[in-house]
Amino acid sequence: MTLTQLLVLLLPELVLTLTALVVLGLDMIWRNGSWSQRFLLWIALIGSVILIAVTVLIWPLTGTGGLPIAFATGKDFGGDQVPMMALDPLALFFKLFTALVLILVLLASGDYVRVRIRFRGEFYALILFGGLAMMLSAAATNLLMIYLSLEFLSITSYLLTGYLREDERSTEGAVKYFVYGATASAVMLYGFSLLYGATGTLDLAGIATVLMGGMVPVHWLVYPALIMVLVGLGFKIALVPFHQWAPDAYEGAPTPVTAFLSVGPKAAGFAVLMRLLLTALPGFQLDWIAVLAGIAIVTMTLGNLVALWQSNVKRLLAYSSIAQAGYMLIGLVALAPEAQSWTTGLNGLLLYLLAYLFTNLGAFAVVIAVENHAGSAQLDAFAGLMRRNPFLAITMFLFLLSLIGIPPTAGFVGKLFVFGAAIQRQMIMLAVVGIVNSVISVYYYYAIMRQMFFGEAVDTSPFDEGPGLRVAVGVAAVMVLMMALYAEPFIRLASESVSLLAASF
Amino acid sequence: MEFIFNLTPLIPLFPLLAFAIIVLFTHRHNRLSSSIAIGGIALSTALGWTLVLATILSGEHAWAEGWQLRVPWLPAGTTVLELGFAVDGFTAAMLFMVPFVCLMIFIYSQGYMKLGQPDQDPRYARFFAYISLFAAGMLGLVVARDLVLLFISWEVMGLCSYLLIGFWSFRKADSEHHIDAAQVVRARQAALKAFITTRIGDVLLFSGIALLYSYTGTLTFRELFRPETLETLQAISLLGMPAVTVIALLVFGGAVGKSAQFPLHVWLPDAMEGPTPVSALIHAATMVAAGVYLVARTLPLFIAGFVVADAPALHWVAVIGAITALLGATVGLAQDDIKRVLAYSTISQLGYMMMGLGLGSLVAGIFHLLTHAFFKALLFLSAGSVIHGVEHGAHIAAHNGHGHGEHFSPNDMKIMGGLRHRMPRTFVAYLAGALALVGIVPFAGFWSKDEILAEAFHLWRADGTLNLPFWVWLAGTLGAFFTALYMGRQLGLVFWGEPRHAAARHAHESPSSMTVPLIVLALFALLFGFVNAPFLGNPLHHLMGNVHEVSEVVHAEAIPFNPTVAGISTVLAVAGLLLGWSLYRNYRAGQVEPFQAALGPVFTVLRNKYYIDDLYQWAIIRPAVWLANFCFNIDDRWIIDPFVDLVGAAGRAASDIARVLDSGVIDRWFVEGTAQLFNAAGRWLRYSETGHVQNYLLVVAVTILLLLGLYLYF
Repeated sequence: MTLTQLLVLLLPELVLTLTALVVLGLDMIWRNGSWSQRFLLWIALIGSVILIAVTVLIWPLTGTGGLPIAFATGKDFGGDQVPMMALDPLALFFKLFTALVLILVLLASGDYVRVRIRFRGEFYALILFGGLAMMLSAAATNLLMIYLSLEFLSITSYLLTGYLREDERSTEGAVKYFVYGATASAVMLYGFSLLYGATGTLDLAGIATVLMGGMVPVHWLVYPALIMVLVGLGFKIALVPFHQWAPDAYEGAPTPVTAFLSVGPKAAGFAVLMRLLLTALPGFQLDWIAVLAGIAIVTMTLGNLVALWQSNVKRLLAYSSIAQAGYMLIGLVALAPEAQSWTTGLNGLLLYLLAYLFTNLGAFAVVIAVENHAGSAQLDAFAGLMRRNPFLAITMFLFLLSLIGIPPTAGFVGKLFVFGAAIQRQMIMLAVVGIVNSVISVYYYYAIMRQMFFGEAVDTSPFDEGPGLRVAVGVAAVMVLMMALYAEPFIRLASESVSLLAASF
Repeated sequence: MEFIFNLTPLIPLFPLLAFAIIVLFTHRHNRLSSSIAIGGIALSTALGWTLVLATILSGEHAWAEGWQLRVPWLPAGTTVLELGFAVDGFTAAMLFMVPFVCLMIFIYSQGYMKLGQPDQDPRYARFFAYISLFAAGMLGLVVARDLVLLFISWEVMGLCSYLLIGFWSFRKADSEHHIDAAQVVRARQAALKAFITTRIGDVLLFSGIALLYSYTGTLTFRELFRPETLETLQAISLLGMPAVTVIALLVFGGAVGKSAQFPLHVWLPDAMEGPTPVSALIHAATMVAAGVYLVARTLPLFIAGFVVADAPALHWVAVIGAITALLGATVGLAQDDIKRVLAYSTISQLGYMMMGLGLGSLVAGIFHLLTHAFFKALLFLSAGSVIHGVEHGAHIAAHNGHGHGEHFSPNDMKIMGGLRHRMPRTFVAYLAGALALVGIVPFAGFWSKDEILAEAFHLWRADGTLNLPFWVWLAGTLGAFFTALYMGRQLGLVFWGEPRHAAARHAHESPSSMTVPLIVLALFALLFGFVNAPFLGNPLHHLMGNVHEVSEVVHAEAIPFNPTVAGISTVLAVAGLLLGWSLYRNYRAGQVEPFQAALGPVFTVLRNKYYIDDLYQWAIIRPAVWLANFCFNIDDRWIIDPFVDLVGAAGRAASDIARVLDSGVIDRWFVEGTAQLFNAAGRWLRYSETGHVQNYLLVVAVTILLLLGLYLYF
């Protein structure tokens, strides 16, 4: 592989790196608080839009089989080109996903950053680096690369969580997040080393080949490795019981960061989980399906039950996002690669992620708008929102419907596909638990609705959400409706993105 | 050429966008809103006519085969529900009429809703939003490639009809504008009646569609009408009939509701409680045309596997059509409300269309649909103009102190008279519409009605016995006479004689935004019949006759012009028109009606619409209301609520007893023990939730050990 080829294949990553560096550099040149600093947001946004364009442009290059991206050459690394990442449909899907997350988060963060963080431009750079880490981890096919990119993502997230330096809770959340994350990643690394020890390779496909060979009975070694890897990834996704950092970190972090954390790392975690389990450990599916099914049930139930008692909307959405991850996990548990039907579980997972992206970021954008105005994200800050800002109230209503999974919203399509996959695989229990949990969740989502439409507001003056948030909320709302009313392209995208993974399985 | 066809989805999209823009953004700006609505439908008209031209130029193959675009929409199991757009000769014929008539009605509405005048309708912008959505529904239906898009559009129209018929249910009763409280209530009831009555048909249609999909796995017209698909459907037996017959009857049920056929016709006359442009929309270009269009589009289902002379579903269409045609025409003889007469005339004419389709002739039915759309829109808009003029006259009369003070309805023909002098342009337009409706050469209605009658006559003569086509022909010919009779009566009452009320005396011509569309439509009422005139070689037949050729069941060749049929119906039409006109030309206020004098009790039956509405009231609505009351009583008064109260009371009593026991016995032993248990659990839960990160990590460690332990265990 020549350097030029390599650079072309890495264009999305390069675009994002370059944008982040430009933002960092200009932030140093321009004086803090100066007028020109507002352009940093624009630069970051333009970079994200270019990212979409570049991703679409290199899409045809991958072909049906995907392309390996090999970095290390020369004798020092054993003389071979070691493929570190892949440019395959799944990786491309998550590049697109990342770009959408970045655009919505950046749009929603403009006013918040201006008021609360006083224009520290590296905030945008860190968000962009977070996106870069997401793309790298979703594309990584080598345990080393997986570890490095996840660590990159974690460190960015710690920094962003503690960004409100004067705010005690922000700092506290960041420290807890960091301590928990460090431990979890150490455990995961231990798991990786066990896998390496068992197979002698770091390459995911290579691991599968060795394990399939079945010369040595290594189940006793692989199973603990699997558990430990799940700890690391469960931490990223915030699966119960590795979720406990999430409410503290989510509540303490600046709200745009909370929005990012609730979608970005979760998606990256799922991408790695899918790739790792399906590429490296397909022979051990009996083990991981059982463990993950248990985790899914616990995650849905605990997330929803605890969310019932929250009075802070940020914390409420934190628990809700834990529960949502539980629903998504059903898609992976109920995977059926050979299915002739439209629901293969895996595409349900991606669809759910996509629906969740638009819904959750939209909901958080509304929270940011309310917080910008009212100064708090308590439930009663939403009182009478319908009279004060009908646009926000109606779109929030739509996002909540989508989180519950009521048509005609994106969340319904996501739930339809994961629950449908579970039913198709005869995992009726899983589907029933999921549906019962959806019903429970209505209660706390309804609490927000009730405040918005029937709550008595102390301050009844109308307020304006500002252009950036308006666009973010509007785009998210349109996509939420679009995914439900014309789902076919999204379903096709999701199905094509997992086709390779399912075929190799 | 292909490029133009690819723009087809835009045709319903333009008015849909207009609707969205008005509702979301411009609803506070009246003139802008109506301009957007008119702009939207004008674009649709322009594009629609371009498509018509493109279709005609594409040649015969394109007329039958058409162009289509498929959009996979909803993945369902292993299949994908598709919706799509198609244009063939039939669609082109509809595309010539629908957007254009809508455009005329939109322009007219600007004047009718009194744009820019002090008494402009307070919900002016909303009105234009609704009619835009209505037009979008109809256009979507016409360009639909399959039953999915058709049904969506169908329901959109159902919703719009509800909103528009009840449009004035938000008005405040106001004596100055002759709005009384009863009228407001009537508007609300009419909207409900239309919605519920058509809903009965919708359910039938939906069942038909569901059956089709479950048997064939497709809802696309072209695939449904393949001979092999139809054969499969015919082979399946359902309810003792071939499935295809059941499905066709269900589909026809939908059309009966939408197109106001007997016995679901009752909503249409009441629908005139809406603003007059809405009546024109419903009666001409949209709503009722949809039902006829549906039957025409799915005609192969009706004939599938049978010969036309022996297709059971098709015969039902013809019979219902004939009954409806006669029923509408006779009831029309005895109504006083100018719009109500027209409403019954619409019912009757829709019956004609169904008759044409029921004889297996796609072109005859649709040709009448097209001509009828032009002249019925014309008649309704002219009637609106008359009402508008009379209302205005009432204002002037009240202003001059001539007001009689008593309440009157501006729709009542009995108070009009002599309006041909006061409203000359409206009169000319109305006359053109009436002559077209009655079927006088060379007006449009003559050619299309004649085609249906000739078709029936031909089928009768070909067979020779007193078969169904004979009765259809007889009903049609009789109906034509009655049609002429009630139109003669109406013309005489409204435009001849002396004004019978101050309002009519002071009536004057409507603004040009209203009269110009009238003149344009009048030209079409005069000339449009020639698109299928026999001496021009029946061009419409060539354009759309072969649409159903794929299914090889619907015959396409035109019936030759038959002088006997045309002669009989023309003589009857002229006789009826003159009779009605001469009897009512000099009608005076308070006089016993000539028809009443001649017909006696029959007239009373007709005036009460054969008591069908009363029958429904007595047999369906009253029991339904009674049942609802009964259920309410069971729930609220008799059983359930008292039971709940009882349980509540019992619970309270029990709790009183319990409290005594409680403090003594249970508290000490039971509660404290449980409390301690929960306390312990709570303490543990608090450890896991209160934010000590070391505890979090402990949970992780325990989890890992637990999961590893599971491995050892199994």
